[in-house]
Amino acid sequence: MLGNALIGLREGLEAALVVSILVAFLVRTDRRSELPKVWLGVGIAIAVSVGVTLALALAQQQLTFEAQEAFGGILSIIAVGFVTWMIFWMRRVARSISAELRGKLEGALAMGPVAVVVMAGLAVGREGLETALFFFTAAQAAGETTQPLIGFLIGIAIAIALAYLIYRGAISLNLGRFFTITGVLLIFVAAGILAYGMHDLQEAGIVPGLTTLAFDVSTAVPPDSWYGTLLKGIFNFSPQTTVAEAIVWVAYVAVVLPLFLRPQRTRAAIPTT
Amino acid sequence: MSRTSRVAVLVTASAALAACTSTAPPAGDAAGAGGPIAVTAADDRCEVGATEAPAGTITFSVRNTGSKITEFYLYGTGGRIMGEVENIGPGLTRNLIVEVPDGGSYTTACKPGMVGDGIQAPFTVTGSATRSVDENTRLAEATTGYHRWVTSQIEALVPKTQEFVDAVKAGDVDTAKALFPVARTYWERIEPVAESFGDIDPKIDGREDDERDPGVQFTGYHRLEKDLWVDGLQPDAPAMADQLMADIRDLESRTATVELTPVQLANGAKELLDEVATGKITGEEDRYSHTDLWDFKANVEGSQGAVAALRPVIDEKDPTLGPVLDERFAAVDALLEEYRVGDGYRLYTDLTEDDTRRMAEAVDALGEPVSQVAAVVTS
Repeated sequence: MLGNALIGLREGLEAALVVSILVAFLVRTDRRSELPKVWLGVGIAIAVSVGVTLALALAQQQLTFEAQEAFGGILSIIAVGFVTWMIFWMRRVARSISAELRGKLEGALAMGPVAVVVMAGLAVGREGLETALFFFTAAQAAGETTQPLIGFLIGIAIAIALAYLIYRGAISLNLGRFFTITGVLLIFVAAGILAYGMHDLQEAGIVPGLTTLAFDVSTAVPPDSWYGTLLKGIFNFSPQTTVAEAIVWVAYVAVVLPLFLRPQRTRAAIPTT
Repeated sequence: MSRTSRVAVLVTASAALAACTSTAPPAGDAAGAGGPIAVTAADDRCEVGATEAPAGTITFSVRNTGSKITEFYLYGTGGRIMGEVENIGPGLTRNLIVEVPDGGSYTTACKPGMVGDGIQAPFTVTGSATRSVDENTRLAEATTGYHRWVTSQIEALVPKTQEFVDAVKAGDVDTAKALFPVARTYWERIEPVAESFGDIDPKIDGREDDERDPGVQFTGYHRLEKDLWVDGLQPDAPAMADQLMADIRDLESRTATVELTPVQLANGAKELLDEVATGKITGEEDRYSHTDLWDFKANVEGSQGAVAALRPVIDEKDPTLGPVLDERFAAVDALLEEYRVGDGYRLYTDLTEDDTRRMAEAVDALGEPVSQVAAVVTS
């Protein structure tokens, strides 16, 4: 029960976190009209994951291990690109808001509808295949025991609740801090997704060095503990990190964080009212 | 969830899973996969229902009877992951369907708690599913291994050539002379790779009397060699030095993405020895500096590097060839050691006819088994 709940929590958080920040951002900048696009992206990702899982099953095929890992890895790296773009786009918006150009914001900085759909879709789709397969497995076992299925659904529910709390917390911040805090959080999330994608490519044998570990803290942070699950779900933190993963993580943070935090020409400090 | 929809999910899922386990056996593999191999994964044990299976598609049906989340892996040689299934929650059964083309020793592992190396057990795959050559794992490993080795040589070639080039540009003739054979060592080890990009080799390693298109200059190591040892540094020597460095950088970037075939490796190993016979033992290559023996040694090491990468394949297909190669390489190494002076070698001009005859004999004796490698790896 607990184990399956943790799987649901981890997979759910990986998908829900970016979506919750995206929603908070749209709400905070008075763009509720864009929200349906977010849900459209999420819907497409779920439909594709379930569709592919079913189609493969019906065609009596299974993706080879390498294909599965390469798919996950490449999708993760594309997702990082989109999240990075979102971080800096938010920064630009923050600047124009602080410059009190709210009227001009709609035209100049409208996010393309496709980008919103794709970003929400990628956030969910990355782990969608694996989650869909897992759900089928759990549902099948429900013939003998419903525990795994219930556990998994509880985990997903907790993940959605956590994502909602993050959303609530985010929109209660004043606008300047909202941008800084969500931006920095997203940078660490994106770095984690990038490292995770690198690990997938290593498992597929596309990138060497799977057994060359930078550090191994799996005794201090067991991956099946609740805190290990949260770290994995939010930051994609892996207790056994390979050197290649560590390098891309550090390189990403070292480049993006200073760029994001460099002073704006106009300070984003507007009181919340 | 209502009763009816739960039933619907169940039916769909059962159908899906039933379909999953019955993957069609690959062509040419009459035996096919038997039923799925049942694996019982608990928190402290990992019971694999069978310890061997025929090559082709192998299905493991992994049931987690423990309380921790577990994972199941099938490892090939050197810890290569053949397949894995993650997120097997307590009470769940998940399938791993894995394509194993070659017979041999593999390892199964359950990882309760998703940590460490897990509970491992040997697993044997018998026979082999027919697969085309480039899909053959061993050959693929050989080419990636050789590519890694070449990359390591380039990583040394670039800074050493930079030092040499800097010395030339600073007009420091003695330092440049000392660095010349050292930088070339890395170049000569990987020359077959450079030759595979037709246009680079003549620019870096051309001789003065090579045929060139009109308007194409004599450039590269040997042009600078001629300045250092014979003519004195010419006014355009710094430009020539920069040109050499640019060509080496070009080689570096192209090598990063080059795809070599096992046959190219085997032929490269032979070409390097032919190079020794025609260029080094004759004193033709380093005609101004006479540092031919440095190049000789590097060519042999390059040949050895390619053969070493192919060695697992050679041993599998012709167990008698490996020991012969070892013995002949050792004989050439021992002979060259006789001519060692400090960190380097005796100059070509200090060799007698008897010396070069012995070298030619040793290289011919080595060339004979090396020339068989290509046929063996493609058999």
